[in-house]
Amino acid sequence: MPDTTIALREPGPAARRTTWFGRLRHVEPVTLLWAVLIAALLFLVAFPLLKLLAVSFETQGSGAFTLANYGTAYGRARYVEALLNSLTLGLITATIAVVLAVPMAWAVSRTDMPGKGFTWAVVLAAFVMPPYLGAVGWILLAGPNSGFLNLAWRWATGAEDPLFDVYSFAGLALVIALHSFPLVFIFVKSALDLVSSEMEDAANILGAGTWTAMRKVSLPLVWPSILGGFILVFLETIALFGTPAIIGIPARINVVTTQLWQFFEYPVRVEVAAAYAMPLLLITVGLIAAQRLVLSRKGFVSQTGKGGERRPIRLGPWRWLLFGWCAGVGLFAVALPLLVLIQASFAKAWGRGLTLDNLTLRDYRLLLFEHEMALTSVWNTIWFSGVAATLAVGLALLIAYIVARKLVPFGEALGFLAMAPFVIPGIVMAIGFYAAYAPPPLALYGTATLIILAFTARFLPIAYANSTAAMRAVHPEMEEAARILGSGRLHAIRHVTAPLVKKALLGGWLIVFIVASRELSAAVFLVGPRTRTMSVLLYDLSEAGNFEVLAAFGGILLVITMVFVGIGMKLVGRDFMLRRT
Amino acid sequence: MQMITRRQLAAMAAAMAAMGTGAAGAQEMPPHERELHEAARREGEITWYSGQYSAEGSEAVGRAFGERYPGVRCNVVRSTSQVAFQRLSQDNRAGVAQCDVFSSTDFGHYSLLKREGRLLKYRPVNADGLLPALRHADPDDTYQSSFIGLYLLAHNTRKVSEAEAPKSWTDVLDPKWRNQLAVGHPGFSGAIGIWAVQMRKMYGWDYFKRLERNRPLIGRSSIDPVTVLNAGERSVGVAVPSGSTLLSIERGNPLRLIYPTEGVLATISPSAILRNAPHPNAAKLFMEFTTGPYLSQTVRLLYGESLRPDVPPPEGSRPLDQITLLAPTQEEAEKGVPEVRELWRDTFGI
Repeated sequence: MPDTTIALREPGPAARRTTWFGRLRHVEPVTLLWAVLIAALLFLVAFPLLKLLAVSFETQGSGAFTLANYGTAYGRARYVEALLNSLTLGLITATIAVVLAVPMAWAVSRTDMPGKGFTWAVVLAAFVMPPYLGAVGWILLAGPNSGFLNLAWRWATGAEDPLFDVYSFAGLALVIALHSFPLVFIFVKSALDLVSSEMEDAANILGAGTWTAMRKVSLPLVWPSILGGFILVFLETIALFGTPAIIGIPARINVVTTQLWQFFEYPVRVEVAAAYAMPLLLITVGLIAAQRLVLSRKGFVSQTGKGGERRPIRLGPWRWLLFGWCAGVGLFAVALPLLVLIQASFAKAWGRGLTLDNLTLRDYRLLLFEHEMALTSVWNTIWFSGVAATLAVGLALLIAYIVARKLVPFGEALGFLAMAPFVIPGIVMAIGFYAAYAPPPLALYGTATLIILAFTARFLPIAYANSTAAMRAVHPEMEEAARILGSGRLHAIRHVTAPLVKKALLGGWLIVFIVASRELSAAVFLVGPRTRTMSVLLYDLSEAGNFEVLAAFGGILLVITMVFVGIGMKLVGRDFMLRRT
Repeated sequence: MQMITRRQLAAMAAAMAAMGTGAAGAQEMPPHERELHEAARREGEITWYSGQYSAEGSEAVGRAFGERYPGVRCNVVRSTSQVAFQRLSQDNRAGVAQCDVFSSTDFGHYSLLKREGRLLKYRPVNADGLLPALRHADPDDTYQSSFIGLYLLAHNTRKVSEAEAPKSWTDVLDPKWRNQLAVGHPGFSGAIGIWAVQMRKMYGWDYFKRLERNRPLIGRSSIDPVTVLNAGERSVGVAVPSGSTLLSIERGNPLRLIYPTEGVLATISPSAILRNAPHPNAAKLFMEFTTGPYLSQTVRLLYGESLRPDVPPPEGSRPLDQITLLAPTQEEAEKGVPEVRELWRDTFGI
């Protein structure tokens, strides 16, 4: 950018160019930047979606207008049933996630429950663990006949029937909820952090006990956050591909994502897939609208200018019950699945249990030294996610800056576009990217570029929310001081604002990096032979049900993620992943 | 009941009998391979979409290829056959050529690809050394035999005794096997699609309606049931590959193969070079590797069937001339697999 600025200030040699430049000279560089950003956002967000919409009305081959794709997409009971399954699954999962997370958030934020650091670790670990890996862990735990939990249950009670069958609707919902509840936790906890104790005190003075005050005062105040978390989990669930493929197929539950995958069978019917995906978009938009409507009727102001005091509520013996709840969630979401996965990864045959003669390093050796693709996919994952995180944060920072400083008219439009992918299911976005950029003229199919762009677009909202919060914390006066002293705007950004928000941006970068490194539902449609990521390779391995190799590869993925989480904690602070911005 | 013809069988048997004990050495590279190797080295790599052999077997084949032909790396893209075909179709739809050699257990894919003019004609010199029945998979040489898959029944010996175990393909329909069966999915596995076409031909679709009543655990790959049996999650695997089952037994899992009385499903499937292959010479070299003794030597260590008389069959597997082989014709497969896939989804709901 600075280069352009300099070039623009030089008078051009030819008269024609002079007038052109002369006109441009009055344009502030920031306006040019605005135009570039608009172009980038149109390319990343708007065009793939519009293309998807257009394709849904096209006849395959000729491209003529038709409504037949919608007829095909919804013409069979099985396809409609998949949509209903997805919606039911989303509702049940989101409900379970809220039930799991709200007591945890309340306990950590408002009470004197012990082991808060431990609870943080549980939430973080559940968030970091890729859902499909958790799903494999749960197959090993709760397979009706061979799962360790069910074996233990039968041994202890002598019962015939399993305690819990993972291959069921409830199993599928629970497994997804155990890896998505952190979203609710993050939302609700940060909202509860803002509620001052005075509100609860007022309730206590009027005779309400702790329980009533929590139920009638604290929780209703954070109702928007609970609803927000609920909707987010719902959206995550209906867009999830890995877990339904791994658990849903044996459980014989077809959902939207597995059905979309079927439309990509020979002959590839992108048109029908696009038509089939449209209701997902409508539902999402509808949900967000409904949320606005519900929340607009009431006020939820919990922050006032008076700066209330925040004291932990004393729970007495009850705090142990609450701690038990948090520990229980940790046990089922993290500890147990992780333990069985580790066991499987070192086992010759995982079904034979934990004995010395069953131990082997075969699968780690295979992956690290013999498997042609394993290490390449590790490297792919790291650099795709790294570049995507850098692009997303860079783009987000510039947009956030322009919006925050109100530098251009209609800056809000930029913000809206940057947040839009938040409500687009990843798999829908992937199909949009496939339709828009896979074929010529760009012919990006199978290239690293396509995957990086898709990741950038998909996680732009996280980076944007992060950057907006960071920008809000920096008062413009510091930048203005620099400008008074003769610095250009971009110069001031680089030397004043950027260093001030560096830490927050690093946090944002790491979050995008980590979620991108486990992304499956977009990657699975876009990878080529040499651009497979770890998550796609894990999915390929899961096809043959070879859980030992799968577990070992999952172990490698987790070690890599933990390294980056560790770096994040060291550089940005322990709660960097979970800070709601 | 469709069988491999008597003549083919006799030819195979004769080849088996004539077979020596030692595998042909791979030290010397014959001139035709050396020439291709030179050209392939300039291309540097080959991308192989494969649904044949297990994930482990495919990786072993890719490695062995790289070892035999230094400077040419094999990108192994292993998935179930229908997913491999889906990847190929997605490439085609996007107008991007990424795949050099395509290997599927659903041999119906090849007549389709050939008709669409998407295969490159190439006759590997080494194909002349294949088992006689495999030598001419396609009269026009657009594809070559590269895989003999045998699919049968298996049981977990701790859960079901040998005496109780089912003996035939229809035995598994008995209600006593309710919640005890495991099977792959024709929407993913090519072999399961072929198997479903064969069962439909022998017993009608009613076979699957009755199978559904026994609530089998449905995986994706035909190898899935082997894992499920190892774990003791289910006790009888339907249409499991002999290779993966034997390998599992060697590793100490309590499994046993059952040769169904009606016969064993055989998918004798080819591999083909794509017309738009980005690395045509490396692809030709790979076809020489496949049809030569090298692939057979590699896969037999993992209990894959040998394709050549000069490489002995894997240990513990019944010789091919002692079993009845069942298979639909190629036309039946091409037409039938998409049909049974839809029927399957209607019947099983997934």
